[in-house]
Parts: sequence; structure tokens; C-alpha cells
Amino acid sequence: MSEQRFDALVQQLETQRIDRRTFLVRAVALGASVPAIGAALLRTQPVGAQVATPAAGGPATAAEIGMPGIEHLTTTDKGTIKLYSSWPLTGASEKIGGDSAEAVRLCLEDRGNAAGGFALEYEALDDGIAANNGGWDAGKESENANRVVNDPDAMVYIATYNSGASKISIPILNAAEPPMPMITPQATYPGLTKDTPSNAEGEPEIYYPSGTRNFFRVVPADDIQGPAAANWAFSTLGATKAYVLHDNQLYGAGVATLFRDTFQSLGGEVVGFEPFDPEAPEYQALMTKVADAGPDLVYLGAIVNLNASKLLQDMRALMGPEEVTFLGPDGLVNQDFIEGAGDAAEGAYITFAGVPANTLSTGAGQDYYTRMSERLGEEPDAYATYAYEAAAVVLQAIDVAQAKDRTAILNALAATEGFQGLLGEWSFSDTYDTTATTMSLNVVKDGAITFQEEIAPPAS
Amino acid sequence: MDFNAALFTQYLIIGIASGALIALIALGYTLVYGIVELINFAHGEVFMMGALFATTVVATVGVTNDSSGVAIVFMAIAALLASMLFSGLLNAGIDRVAYRRLRNAPKLAPLIAAIGISFILQNIAIYWKGSNPITPPSLIPTEYVRYNVLTEWFGLETRIRLRVLDLAVLGVTIPLLIGLTWFVYKTRTGKAMRATAQDRDAAALMGIDVNRTIAYAFLIGGALAGAAGMIAVYYNNSARFQMGFRYGLFAFTAAVLGGIGNLAGSVIGALCIGIVWSMSDGFMSQYIEGWGAGWTPAVIFAVLVLVMIFRPTGLLGEQTVDKV
Amino acid sequence: MAASLAASQRIDVRQDRRDARSKTLWIGGGALLMALYPFLDNALGINRLGSFMAIFVLVILAMGLNIVVGYAGLLDLGYAAFFAIGAYTNAFLTSPTSYFVRNDYIPEFLRHFWPALILSFFTAALFGVLLGAPTLRLRGDYLAIVTLGFGEIVPTFFLNATTITGGTLGINPISAPPAIPFFGGDLRFGASDQRNWYWLMLAVGLLSVFLINRLYDSRLGRSWQAVREDEVAAASMGINLVRTKLLAFGLGASFSGFAGSIYAAAFQYVHPDQFRFSVSIMILAMVILGGLGNIYGVIFGGLLIASFDRILVEVLRDPVQSFGRTFNIPFLENHDLSQDRFLVFGLALVLMMLLRPGGLIPNARRRAEMEPESEEIAAAESESLYDARREQEALAGERA
Repeated sequence: MSEQRFDALVQQLETQRIDRRTFLVRAVALGASVPAIGAALLRTQPVGAQVATPAAGGPATAAEIGMPGIEHLTTTDKGTIKLYSSWPLTGASEKIGGDSAEAVRLCLEDRGNAAGGFALEYEALDDGIAANNGGWDAGKESENANRVVNDPDAMVYIATYNSGASKISIPILNAAEPPMPMITPQATYPGLTKDTPSNAEGEPEIYYPSGTRNFFRVVPADDIQGPAAANWAFSTLGATKAYVLHDNQLYGAGVATLFRDTFQSLGGEVVGFEPFDPEAPEYQALMTKVADAGPDLVYLGAIVNLNASKLLQDMRALMGPEEVTFLGPDGLVNQDFIEGAGDAAEGAYITFAGVPANTLSTGAGQDYYTRMSERLGEEPDAYATYAYEAAAVVLQAIDVAQAKDRTAILNALAATEGFQGLLGEWSFSDTYDTTATTMSLNVVKDGAITFQEEIAPPAS
Repeated sequence: MDFNAALFTQYLIIGIASGALIALIALGYTLVYGIVELINFAHGEVFMMGALFATTVVATVGVTNDSSGVAIVFMAIAALLASMLFSGLLNAGIDRVAYRRLRNAPKLAPLIAAIGISFILQNIAIYWKGSNPITPPSLIPTEYVRYNVLTEWFGLETRIRLRVLDLAVLGVTIPLLIGLTWFVYKTRTGKAMRATAQDRDAAALMGIDVNRTIAYAFLIGGALAGAAGMIAVYYNNSARFQMGFRYGLFAFTAAVLGGIGNLAGSVIGALCIGIVWSMSDGFMSQYIEGWGAGWTPAVIFAVLVLVMIFRPTGLLGEQTVDKV
Repeated sequence: MAASLAASQRIDVRQDRRDARSKTLWIGGGALLMALYPFLDNALGINRLGSFMAIFVLVILAMGLNIVVGYAGLLDLGYAAFFAIGAYTNAFLTSPTSYFVRNDYIPEFLRHFWPALILSFFTAALFGVLLGAPTLRLRGDYLAIVTLGFGEIVPTFFLNATTITGGTLGINPISAPPAIPFFGGDLRFGASDQRNWYWLMLAVGLLSVFLINRLYDSRLGRSWQAVREDEVAAASMGINLVRTKLLAFGLGASFSGFAGSIYAAAFQYVHPDQFRFSVSIMILAMVILGGLGNIYGVIFGGLLIASFDRILVEVLRDPVQSFGRTFNIPFLENHDLSQDRFLVFGLALVLMMLLRPGGLIPNARRRAEMEPESEEIAAAESESLYDARREQEALAGERA
């Protein structure tokens, strides 16, 4: 009987219903012999090199996601297109980067590793180095960008995680002839595409030397999130005194600055605005100071792997949830943040672009969430959702262009309109940002992120 | 702005408690440096491994919220001893495998080996506990986490908070410090250590087993780091593979600040750093416009540089001459 | 007797010349190979030039640190601070978005790559001297910790002094060198002209090798070695200790500033996080691993360590997996080597030190110290003055 199940497993592997790792785990669990597993693995090629076969009766999601009326081609007679992503994959970023790469793989498998008549190959590049504790490195990012530009098979660059890294790679891809499309699931610094008050001088034009825009964002930039959070805090919650902390990184400082500006312009008082040291082991003294300032809300512009959970813990040791509300951006939407903070996370408010996947009860989002969780064996990182979305929109652009041509694919991407994504329907704006500006406000309840209401920036 | 005495005292308490924690790590640094003149970059990682081990011990044996007070105290002490033993053996083991073979190598070779070992230990920690911060299994009953000793025990009406945890840090550090001083100044092995530190060759001629004495120094230094690790886990209520870096750097700075090789100096240096840290994080912004916690690392190291310029041997260090 | 000595000396001279010639041949050959590499990189689709750019900068840094640590024997744990100072000097001077340029504090003629490069060199040297003057009298490890402190202060300053530095926004873009006419065409230096950057950096690297070699053989270079070996003896031979040490510290710092300036221009972006403590440690590891005091050793060590992190791990990943596939070792087959980066790197450092504590290519003088050429020298070195005197007395006794 176990042999029958093993055969079924082998068949699943051959038709790419499951990947090699899953196959291995399940086969070992069945107690199959090592030579049998090895033989099966040798028979099938690794995913990248294999000529894609359309997933037999593939998952329903592939059909649900995308723009209506565009046919997905699973034939591979036109050749091979290569997709690259670039973000940190090791050290402290292992989970965040790894989940996003896994989401891209899942998206490709859902579509039979093919689009527009081409077989697709995907390679996840790492722009981190050990010397930076796994964090991104300018040399590595510059190399990744140039490598992709120089690869004639590469059509789209799915990158980067850090906005600072985008500052390096956008001009490189932009100066290529013709400019090569780049799409980010994670970099949210507004100045990369838009003219906002928090920009440095000359942004965003300095990133586009050729004059053509080539940088797309499926994730809403921080100029939506910060103001929307401030609007909710002031108008709905009724907070009047806010203390704003940030991790002194591009993302954290940027979203915190925009929160502060909007909160003040609405009439609220910001009693403190300062960076914290993400490498410090604890923040008791800082939190004593915050408590002394007597805020009714603390806004934290930070991401989970920069000690945000520790900060929340130390805050809650001094200020209970009934006295002071905690509010943070989507960099904190991660189970690790909640686990890291323990009881202190209870009642914390976190904004998120769209709705966190685990709170979706129906449709493509829920399906994605279930399958990703199964695949990883744990809760996926929030940004992985955008990685899946980015891959989906890229594949569709290839389906539209039906050509191995960077300009055609760039134009197809720019023309994306009414895209049915995991988090709702959206298009690309004239700055190539997502038009999905609906933010959700979520609250941590019983150790899980729970959707509470939709929020929006104040009408200007 | 007016001087706020209550707030100042509060920052002082926080500074002293974190300083005491740093002191335990700094003692290990100073002990090893005094004898082998090695800046043991892996020391912070030994501390971190001790911290992770403590969480494992508590998780394995397990204490629930309704365990009796005696059981909790017993568990805490057992975990403390276990992580001390673990870290001590780890540190001595590293010495045996790596540093001992490099005793006669150029002075910087063991330094690089130490850097290598700190990388290895960090990666092992990632395999062991993952790369994200972990919350330790509960040991201290929840009602004591926010328990203010001053109001509950002494009935004082004050905003100043002195937590059981703050007292616990001091309660572990002070006995260990006294024990260490006794050990170094009164026991045979301690004397052998001091002799080895002064002149290795002369000590060997006097019949001291130099290698064994150095191994003891690593063992004890590691044990102190392990104790610090156990305390840090519960004091901070979190642990992570990177936690050794900043603590290790501060501890090393503390050791130099106080006069490296001098036990009391390390403790004073560590307290200084703890207090400067908490003052810069909290108190200074009242007086300096635009001051933020982001400046803290710069302040700590600026204090260090200034002390070095005006008192080149550290606060309590004696005039020493480079060996010619 | 005298004749045979002269003859052996002649042979020595000839040997030396032959050695020098073969050395030049090696270096020339190596340089030529590296100069031709970009064609190979392009033809084979390796695409590693970006990494090589970063690697070259790190190697130049390692050469500079070698002056401080290897030649003069001063342990510097905050070398990245000068790297940061150089990079930010260039950014302040040339970036249209920098605070100083926007407020017109910088005269027009300074807002270009080459003047900025020279100024970075001197600014870093200035800071080196400012830090060194009060602290160089400290004993070795105290100096190390002061430099470590300085290395932490500088990036923290750049991160927090937001008005001037932009804080975490960093500064970009940064002026690149103007195109260099070359055989009719122009060598341009945009962000994507990596090949030209590669050559520029290679040229700068070779120039540094030449300069540092000349320096090492100069009067100053010899005083550094004398100070390193024995301060008291050096001082009694008339060497000005403070001046000699300061020059080493300042020159080392200026090399770092120089490299920082190029780095900033090549990647068009500076950010405080690029200059943290870990960078200082990495550069120190290159110097010691390669062979303290030997410039070729340092270059080799630098290439090895810098490329390990950026290239080797990725190159080795696939062979390891296919090895696992071939031999049915599931662990290896699905193993991503880049997850073990820290482990492999750490193991490599420890093993190298255990096997070759003097570094991969140790300095000749140091090697002579550690592994005496002949039994005779070894015996002479281990003999103390006391033994010598006793021997003399014994001889005198015999005579009597």
C-alpha cells in the first residue's frame, strides 16, 4: 500500500504538483528506501532546467488572479525567459527574504512555469553579505543589477527589499538600453517614485537618468501609510499627544516622519520624535522618558527584525494598553513580532496596505495564505504576499507582450489596469505606484493579527 | 528645565542594573585579557550561547505559573548554574581547541581566530534557535514582572520603580563579584593566575602549570558570561543570536575604561557605561534640544576616548609598561 | 676567506636580482590577467564585475591598514571610520543634493570627482592625525580600543546629524570621473559602466602597490619596522617615535579616505551603515590572514576574504547540491550553502590561523623570526646574554 502511495508521490513530482523538497519530506515519511527516492529524484530534473508542463488541473487561483480577458499561455515553444529577484536571504533577513522568494516560486508553479509562450526560470539573488550580518551591500546590489542587465534572457528584475538598495539599482537598470523593467514587492520609500515632503533634494528624477520610468511598485508607498495611520489616530481614536519613535532606517524614519507631519497638521501634538538604536539590548531608559512625556499614543516606525518587539515589551512594562495606544506600520506585520513581544503585543495596532492575508476569509488571498503556510510550515511574512503579487503581474505582462522584449514587457506592465490581486483590485498610477491605497487597521487579539477597519489618508 | 530628582533616580536605577549585567561580561574579558593579552572577540558570543542554553534548560524542566515560590527560585538557581557550567566549558573548550595552539604565534593570530569563532557561534545559534528574537519560557510569575518593590515592600508613595528583576540582577552580580575576588586573591589557583598574568615564564619556572591556569581563566570567564546570559534573558525577556555583539562591545569597553586586568575597575567601568547609556537614552534630551537615543553609542564611545586621552590606563588601571 | 665571502655576496646579489625579476614577472602577469578579466566576464556571462569593484576597494583598504598594523605595528580596530570620512567628503563636495552644495558653500571647481578625491585623501589624513596625536602614546591594546570607539562614533554621527548628512537617507548621486578619451572612444564612468570602473580601480590598486612598496623601502618605512620591532631601540637610534607613528597612522587613514571616495563615486550612494564596525574587522582579518606586513600577502588575503563572501559561497552552492544528488545525500542536496556563510567563514578563519599563524604569505622578516633559516641562527637567537657571558668566562678559564 505504501508503495502505491509512493508511486503517486513520484507522479506528483513528475507533474510538478509538488516540489523536490516536499517530495523528499513526504517520501521519507512514507518510509521509502533511499535508492528509490534517489532514483525518482534523478529521473526528474531540477525545476529551473525543466521544460514546463502545465499543471494538470492547476489551482483555481491562477485563473482568479490577473486582469480579465488575458489568456495565460503555458506553451514553451518560444524559448526561455529568466526572472531574477534580489533581496537579502541570510542572517537576520533569512525569514523575510526567504518567504518572498518562496512566494515567487509558488506563483510560477501555479502558472506552470510558463507565460506568453516562454518557459520561465527564476533565480533568487542575494544582495546581503555576511560582513553586514546578512544585510544588503552596495557592491552586491550593484553587481546583481548589472548582472541582470547583461543577461539577454532576463526581462524583469523583481527587487529590492531595502529602499536604499533600490537607490543603487534603479539608475543601473534605467541607464540600460533600452531601460529594463524593475518591480518591487517591498521597497516603500516614497522618494523613489514620487515627489513628497520627506524627499531628499532632486528625488525622484535623479533615479531615472534616461527620462523613462522603469520602476514599478505593487506595495503602497509610505506616503499613504503614515498619513492614513495619523488620520485614524487623531480622528477616529481621538489621540492628541503622540510620541514617535523610529529605527533610523529609510523605511522606518520615512514613515515616522510622514506620520508626524500629518498628525501635527491635523492638530495633534507630537511630544517626541527620535530614533532608537536597533542594536541596543533594551530600552527601559528610553521608555521611561516616553512615559514621562505623557503621550496617549506611541507610533513606532520600524521593521520586525530591528528589535521592534523588544521596544514594545519595554513600553508595555511602563504603559498599559488602556493608557497608551501602540501603533505601527506594516513592517511589523509578522508573526515573529507578536511572538517576540509576547503578552505585550496584545492590543497593538498595526496598519497594513490591503488586508493581511490571514484575515481573508474567501478567494485568492485565503487560498494563497493556506498554501503558503503549508509550504513553509509556518506563517508567511507579510511582504511575501506582495512578492506573489509582483510575480503574478510580471507573468501577465509577459502573457500580454508575448515577446522576449524588455520594452514591450515594460509597456505591458505600465498598461496594467484593473488587476485582480490577492489584496483586491488595483492598477498602476502615472508614477507606476499601485493605486490600491486602501489601508487596513489591524489589532493583535489573542496573539493573532485581526482586521478591524479600513482607513485612508486625510482628504487634502 | 528644572532638575527632576525622581526621574534622575529612575534613570540611575536602570543604569546600575544594566551596568551590573555588563560588569559580569566585562569580568570575563578582563580575566582572560589579564592573563593572555587576548581581546577575546568571541566572549560576547559565549554570553549569547549561555543565554540560549538557559532558555533550553528552563523549557526542558519547565515551571508553570502556579509552581510554588521555592520551586521557582530553585529552578532559577539551577538554570543559572547550568548555563554557567555550559558557558564555562564552552569557553575553556574554545581555548583548548583554538587559542592554546596559538600561544606562541604572532599576537594578532588568536585575535582573528576569536573573530572566526564568534562567526561560528552565531551560525550555530541560528541553527539552534532561529534568527528571530525568542521569548524565554516563563519563569517569573507574571504578577512580579511589574511589581514595584518600593511601593509594595516599603509602602513609599513614589513614581520611582524598582523591580524585582533589578534587584535580582544585583543579587546575582554582587555575590559573583565577591566570590571572584576571593578566588583570585585567596586561592592557590587564583594566585597562580595572577602570577601567570604578571610573567608567564617566571610562573612556569615556579612550577605553575601555565596552560591549566589559563584554562581556568577561560572557564571562570565563560561561567560569568553564562551567568550574565541567564540573567540577560530574563531581564530583557528576549534572546537572539546577535545579542552578544552589542553587549560584548560594551563589556570590552567597560573593561578598558576601568583599566583592563583590574577586576574592580571593570565593574566601575561597566556601571559608568550603564549609567551613561540610560542617561543618554532618557535624561539628556531634557537639557539638549534635539537629543535622541540614536546618539547613545556615540556618547558611550566618546566617554571612552576622552578617558583614554586623559587617563591612558583607565579609571583604576595602574601604570604598566609594554613588555619589551 | 675574504674572497669567498665576496663571492657568496655576489651570488646573493645575482640571486636577489633574479628574485626581483621573477617577482616583477609574477606581478605583471597577474595584473595583465586581471586587466583582461572583464572580457572573459562578459564572454562567459559570469557577471561578477560589481563584486570585483567592491573587492578592489576592500583590497586597497587592506593595503592601507597594512601600513598601520603591519608596518608600524599599531592595532587599529576602527579603520572603517576613515573610509566613511573619505566617502562622505566626496559626497559633501560633489553631490548636487548635499547640504554644502545646495547652500553654495563649495566653490564650483571643487565639485568634481578628481578634486574631491584629492581632498578626501587629505581630510582623512587630517582626522587620522587629530585622533592619533593624543592617543598614539597609549600602549598597543588601548590604542586599539580608542580606534574602535572612533570607528563607532563616526557612523553614528553620520546617521544622526541629519541636517548635514541626510541621516538614513544617505547621499546620492555622487559625481563620477569625467570620461577619459581612450583610443578614439571614451571611457565613461556611469553606474552601469562597470568595466571601466573595474579598470580604474585596478589602476588605482596597482599604483597603490607601487607607492606602498616604495614607501616600505624608504627611510620612513625602515623606521616603521624599527619602531615595530623595538620602540626603545628605535628611539635610541634617533628615530622620532611620535612623528613616525603619526605618519603611519595618517598615511593609513588617507588611504582609507581615498578608497572611500572611490567607493562612493562607483556606487553613487553613501549610507552610514556601509561603514560599521564589521567592515573594520573584515579588513583587519584580510591583513592578518594574508600575512601581516607583506603587501602581496595582504592583497591575496583581501581577495580571498572579500570574494568568499560575495562570490565563492554562491559558486559553491550548486556543486554541493549536485554532489548531494549524485550520492543521494538528501541533506546536501537541498542544502543552501549561503545559509552557512557565517559558519564557513568562521571555520576558514580559525583553521587558517591554526595552520598558518603568520598568515598565508608572511612577511620575510617575520618569517625569519618565527622559522629561523638554520639551526645556527635558531640557537643564536635562543641564547641569552647570560649564556654568552658564561661561555666567554668558560673560554677564558680554558685559556688560563
